[in-house]
Amino acid sequence: MDTLNQILVTGLTLGAMYAMSTVGLSLVWGALGMLNLAHGVILAIGGYTAYWVIAQMGFPLVVGLFGAMAMGALLGVVMYFGIVRQMLKSKDFETNIIIATIGIAIALENLLLRGFGGSAIPQPIQFSGGFWIGMVYVPWQNAIILITAVVFMGLLAWFLQKSRHGRAIRATAQNRDAARLMGVDTGNVYIQVLALAGALAAISGIMLSSMTTLTPGMGADPMIKAFIICVVAGLGNVGAAAIAAFALGMIEAGAQFQFGSHLGFPTLLVIVIAVLIWRPYGLFGREEVERL
Amino acid sequence: MMSAAQRALRNDIVIGCILLALAVAAPFVVDSRFAITQTIVFFIWAMVTVQWNLVFGYAGIFSLAQMVIFAFGAYMTAVIGLELGWSVWAAAPVAAVGAVGFSLILGLACLRLTGAYVALLTLAVAQIAYVLIRTETLPLGGQSGMSRFGDLGFRPMLGADWYIGNYYVGLTLLTISIIFSIIVIRGPLGLAFQALRDSPGLARARGISRLKYQLWVFGATAFFTGLAGGFYAAHFRIVGPQILSLSLLLFMLAMVVIGGRGRVWGALIGTGVLLLTDELLREVAGDYRNLVLGLLIALFVMFMPQGIAGALSAGVDKVKNRLTRKRETPSSH
Repeated sequence: MDTLNQILVTGLTLGAMYAMSTVGLSLVWGALGMLNLAHGVILAIGGYTAYWVIAQMGFPLVVGLFGAMAMGALLGVVMYFGIVRQMLKSKDFETNIIIATIGIAIALENLLLRGFGGSAIPQPIQFSGGFWIGMVYVPWQNAIILITAVVFMGLLAWFLQKSRHGRAIRATAQNRDAARLMGVDTGNVYIQVLALAGALAAISGIMLSSMTTLTPGMGADPMIKAFIICVVAGLGNVGAAAIAAFALGMIEAGAQFQFGSHLGFPTLLVIVIAVLIWRPYGLFGREEVERL
Repeated sequence: MMSAAQRALRNDIVIGCILLALAVAAPFVVDSRFAITQTIVFFIWAMVTVQWNLVFGYAGIFSLAQMVIFAFGAYMTAVIGLELGWSVWAAAPVAAVGAVGFSLILGLACLRLTGAYVALLTLAVAQIAYVLIRTETLPLGGQSGMSRFGDLGFRPMLGADWYIGNYYVGLTLLTISIIFSIIVIRGPLGLAFQALRDSPGLARARGISRLKYQLWVFGATAFFTGLAGGFYAAHFRIVGPQILSLSLLLFMLAMVVIGGRGRVWGALIGTGVLLLTDELLREVAGDYRNLVLGLLIALFVMFMPQGIAGALSAGVDKVKNRLTRKRETPSSH
């Protein structure tokens, strides 16, 4: 029972971090049909921004959090005006934008390396201590990550479901042309989505680096996981992506406990492969009838 | 009069012969060991990207498995060399056949999927291999890799000039690999894919099975990709897990797309341009090499969405049109 609870604590924390890094990727994919491979480096920049604001400039933690979010959002907007806007109309957008974002990722990672060096730096947003639930010790760090993630997921769900902007985003994701015909300013929607995804990535970068450390390449692994979760959930399905993130976090925690920590990720991948062979359209995806 | 297809094939042969002649002559003209060994690296990556271009550009399979197939060839060559004591000359072709088998299994698993799902499944396989090798779960040398399985044996024959022997072996392999790709593109298989791309309904009604041809490409390209892996092992005399890293995978993918996806010479151009740029930036940009390289990659796809080969052929067409229009204008008025 205790080991089960321990797995639950680890799994929920992993799931919360994965969910934060996945929903942004999924949103962008849904609304723009764009696989953003710079997502990982934006995540790392979020973590570094918090470090810079708090440890180097001496501001309080909250300022670091919001500074990182602002930075992530800004990067999203810059990417829109710098590359996405020009490329959206071109042929082969879906492939070319992947390569373009790979380029951006290589460039930004180089800047991080030059600015902060290659060695690992601790994340200053840390909480010590913890509390007991029954026989299980829950560190504050894990609890706060989980609470933050749940709060932001709730806000995001409310925003997408209830607000005008959220409706416009969902409409654009469903059918770009129809949305435009109904008077949705899709250009505006793209900016909002990229900014939102950048801000969420920045938060997940802070969370991830608070559990490990800051390195310029820290975003690569979470990005692969976010990509996996996105696809398993069904492309562009934001709600399902959040659920799948928690499920995969639990599975990884269980596998780490069962087979040793280095086999958690491979086990996860094997399960994902099995799922895809069983359901080629993702766990929550619906089979699309191909029209010729 | 030649048909368009015949003319395209003739152009390919002419371009190929010129490039081959230049490459054969290079070691006699160029006196820089560094330039020759870097060209060998180009041969290796070009072998991979030329085959990747067939899978991705022609067959339309968004596969990221090419590097894991490459690694399969490299590691199997090393294992055969170490365990059975075979020379790499014998081990590499066997490893290439092994890579075909591996690739066919992978193909059967992932070819029911489409688009990004294929990318994910193949990426997952590559990542599993990467983690399992790095953590020494698979007994393949871990982080530091495998070595001491021999080389191509030019050292006793050519002494300090051994790398020139490797150069010609690499050139031969790349040439065969390119000839194979041209045969596929200009032959019936290429026509089948063109049909499936241009009019999927009609093509399928005529009995062209996408899965069958995709599986065929998956297997055949794996032979040359695996062979490239074997040559990599023989040339560097070491195989490590870094050939499975995500950054190398994405860099190679960028080569295919920037060169011109689905164009005969695209992969070769893309590989050459990116490797050369990388090398030049080492001199010019120093610590900021990757910053410039990354921005250049983004600019390439922004301004040449059809790749460099696409932009070149569009340019040639424009010049041709202008010339013919000039000739025709007086008679039409």
